[in-house]
Amino acid sequence: MHTLIQNLIAWGVFGKNPPRDLVAAIVVFVMSLIVFLVVALPFGGIVTWVERRVWARIQSRVGPNRVGPQGFLQWLADGIKIICKEDIIPDEADSRLFKLAPYLVMLAFILPWAVMPFSSSLILADLNVGILYMTAVTALTVVGVLMAGWASNNKWSLIGGVRSAAQIVSYEIPAGLSIFPVVLMTGTLSMQGIIRGQGWAPQHWFLFANPFTFVAANILYMSSLAEANRTPFDLPEAESELVAGFATEYSGWRYACFSMAEWGNLFIVGAIITTLFLGGWQFPHVTNNVVAMNVLEVITFTVKVLFLVFVSMWIRATLPRVRIDQLTTACWKYFVPISFVNMIGTAVWVAIWPDGNVAIGYIMFAGAIVFGAVFIQRVIYYLRRSRMEVYLNPTI
Amino acid sequence: MSAVSEYVHNIKDTVSTIFEGMAVTASHFMRKPYTVQYPDRMPVRVQDTLPFRYRGILDVDLEICTGCLACERACPIDCIVIVAEKDQQTRQLLLSQFDIDIAKCMYCGLCSEVCPTGSIHHTTEFEGADYSLESLIRRFVQDPVMAYKAKKGPETDPRIAPILNRGMAYLDQWAQPGGEKPPGEEPA
Amino acid sequence: MSTLRTEEMTLNMGPQHPSTHGVLRFVVRADGEVMREAIPDVGYLHRSIEKIAEKVGYRGFMPYTDRVDYVCAMFTNQGWGMACEKLAGIEVPKRGEYCRVIAAEFNRIASHLLSVGAMAMDIGAMTPFAHVIREREMINDLIEELCGARLTFNYMRIGGVAWDLPPGWREKALKYLDHFDPILEEYNALISWNKIYVERLANVGVITPAEAINYNLVGPNLRACGIKWDIRKDIPYSVYPEFEFEVPVGNGQWGKLGDSMDRYVVRIREMAESSKILRQALQKIPPGAVLAKVVRNFKPPAGECQIRVESGRGDMGWYLVSDGTGYPWRVHVRTGSFAAMGIIQKLSAGLMIADLVTLIASLDVIAPEIDR
Repeated sequence: MHTLIQNLIAWGVFGKNPPRDLVAAIVVFVMSLIVFLVVALPFGGIVTWVERRVWARIQSRVGPNRVGPQGFLQWLADGIKIICKEDIIPDEADSRLFKLAPYLVMLAFILPWAVMPFSSSLILADLNVGILYMTAVTALTVVGVLMAGWASNNKWSLIGGVRSAAQIVSYEIPAGLSIFPVVLMTGTLSMQGIIRGQGWAPQHWFLFANPFTFVAANILYMSSLAEANRTPFDLPEAESELVAGFATEYSGWRYACFSMAEWGNLFIVGAIITTLFLGGWQFPHVTNNVVAMNVLEVITFTVKVLFLVFVSMWIRATLPRVRIDQLTTACWKYFVPISFVNMIGTAVWVAIWPDGNVAIGYIMFAGAIVFGAVFIQRVIYYLRRSRMEVYLNPTI
Repeated sequence: MSAVSEYVHNIKDTVSTIFEGMAVTASHFMRKPYTVQYPDRMPVRVQDTLPFRYRGILDVDLEICTGCLACERACPIDCIVIVAEKDQQTRQLLLSQFDIDIAKCMYCGLCSEVCPTGSIHHTTEFEGADYSLESLIRRFVQDPVMAYKAKKGPETDPRIAPILNRGMAYLDQWAQPGGEKPPGEEPA
Repeated sequence: MSTLRTEEMTLNMGPQHPSTHGVLRFVVRADGEVMREAIPDVGYLHRSIEKIAEKVGYRGFMPYTDRVDYVCAMFTNQGWGMACEKLAGIEVPKRGEYCRVIAAEFNRIASHLLSVGAMAMDIGAMTPFAHVIREREMINDLIEELCGARLTFNYMRIGGVAWDLPPGWREKALKYLDHFDPILEEYNALISWNKIYVERLANVGVITPAEAINYNLVGPNLRACGIKWDIRKDIPYSVYPEFEFEVPVGNGQWGKLGDSMDRYVVRIREMAESSKILRQALQKIPPGAVLAKVVRNFKPPAGECQIRVESGRGDMGWYLVSDGTGYPWRVHVRTGSFAAMGIIQKLSAGLMIADLVTLIASLDVIAPEIDR
């Protein structure tokens, strides 16, 4: 952000010798507005359309394809419709808390965008405790969800809220512990600092830095899915058990807040993983033009995040839901101990190779490519097994 | 020791089965969807793609209705009402009412099975939505008409012959074809 | 610690709840997530079908039997047809019996597909449900070509079946079966052996063999407890003795014998067996008529008879009393779902709320079949 502001002043956008603080304030304000209105809010909507299309293809369906090109404006149509709906507040509900809860959830969704490192200079606030701030504010969701579950005065909502509390609080621990290996290796909590510790090439990512960080990345991803209430950990809103969980009694705009925050959180989950393990916005230095470089970095970062968002949709379409006792078992018996092992393992690793081990990076990257090849081979096997011609109803 | 091996086994099992499941779902990205985009995004009308035996909304060819009331008797829910009486002068059966209540009909096909000429038959039409229950009653007789009288030989009237042929085709298709012999050609 | 006071919660699950297939209602007494008891409340879908039979006559009742169990209507058709034939002493032509078996086994596959798919959906996996619906749709297309309807078939008549196989249908059906076997394997890879899925189902709702017999369970639910009892094998009817097939039984491979996973696996394996029967039937089908000559005004002699068919949900009993007129004097249907509802209250104690959903799904309860 500093470089951006300095560049803007140097180019004379604000005239000669402008007051620095005022310029900084204006730039930050405008940037936050752009991030919130152009990136964060529409993302929550668009991702619902993407998810529906992805699901549909996995399920041999077509998905929404009528509103706009390929149904792209479906999210807008849904949004307008849901805002036009009556906002029902049950008589027996605690109306103040009931009204407040969706905004708290929304807040927990909006706050993390402040430390979202889009590129080397595009970050609203490069806090020195950036990643800590990120985990802290995303956990705010639990307050809103629990509040919604309690205030609805509905037993299904209550069970959903309590489940959510148990889930988010317990999954904070493996998520936090999985961040430590990276912090140990970089020695900083700042988002930009962590990204600068990595290179643009996959073998320099922390994902492949050593075997422990690889496991930590996976654990962090699964725990983040649990915190974002995604399958296989979507217990708080398990529609086949709890109707709609904590959101059962909500309608209209308030319900839209919940669902927008839920889908928008996918971006934040992806951003955390990208920053910590996938090299963030790192892009090879191809030009000295700062603007062009920043654009390339934004694109790199977004592509990585969107890939992770896609993977989470794909996981959601594949996996069933776990039970509440299995959820806690997975957390306390598997994720937490393995996270501790990761932490200690990385500490030892860093003690042995303080500057990292590049050979391991290459070996692990090669291993990942082999894994991908095996996966593609399985996909081709299933494609061959299916007799496509039976599907093809001549009238489609 | 067994506890440790079970622990590792559980992790291995989870990862490998999820791997397989993800491979199956990934392979579906490369398959065509199995959706019929009814009603507008189809090259042909859905009604034309339905098989010949499809039991859609009932239709009656009054020209070849013999007024035998077999369908009315066969109907388990009495949704067919026929009034047929002998005309005193011409000594012929006069049909003055032939109503089918589509709202009641359960499309069981018992009526078309017993029809001797194939006059009452199911069409492939299934879009029966309407604004009132009253308009769902199909009244086939506007003015009283003579009932059809089966002739000894083949039908000679050039107006009725094609209708009768079509009706008998329904009967032929709907009734049991003898043995392995394919019953005529398959209609589209 | 003994001072910690917890309150018992009474939850009404249903009649409008996403996972109670149709309109079921359970009164759940729960302590947090753990259920003390789930009391099934039946009767929301009672349509007095048995009484209707006394009003519409023997032939007219055939379409109504479709509505007893709409997921596998061929078996209810067949049960009613067989009961009337037994009373009147009608011999069904061989080809007619083959047509019946072919239609019924296709229907069994469709019914089991729906059951396992709904189960996966209740556990939260949406994709398997869409896949089984796709497969079921293809079976529906085949059956539609055969008898003109997709759900309420009304295919069978007293004395045989209404329509012969259409030209070219046999090849189509065989082609579909060639497609179906790999699809079943793919389905297993997608969901059945998934660790999360197995963990959700194994050791849940364990029914011991003695309990299963005492509670009168039938069909796949009984066989999952390790009891080899299949009407098709043990009280053979129709032309089933001419086919080679196995009766899959539960073996407790995934947890305890008779748990939800066993019931699920038995259904998966029964689909493969049905596919085997269908291949044999489509190969061996003899020429001839499909419908015996039956007088139009069907009046069986006075008497009573009882028929058992192995439907998708197990032993389906048809009890028919005739007084010699054109209308049955009394009809009674004995269905598997009703018995399965009875055991839920016993099994539910100590389970989680999430497990109640899988328990209902694993018992394959179809609401209209409970109440009729």
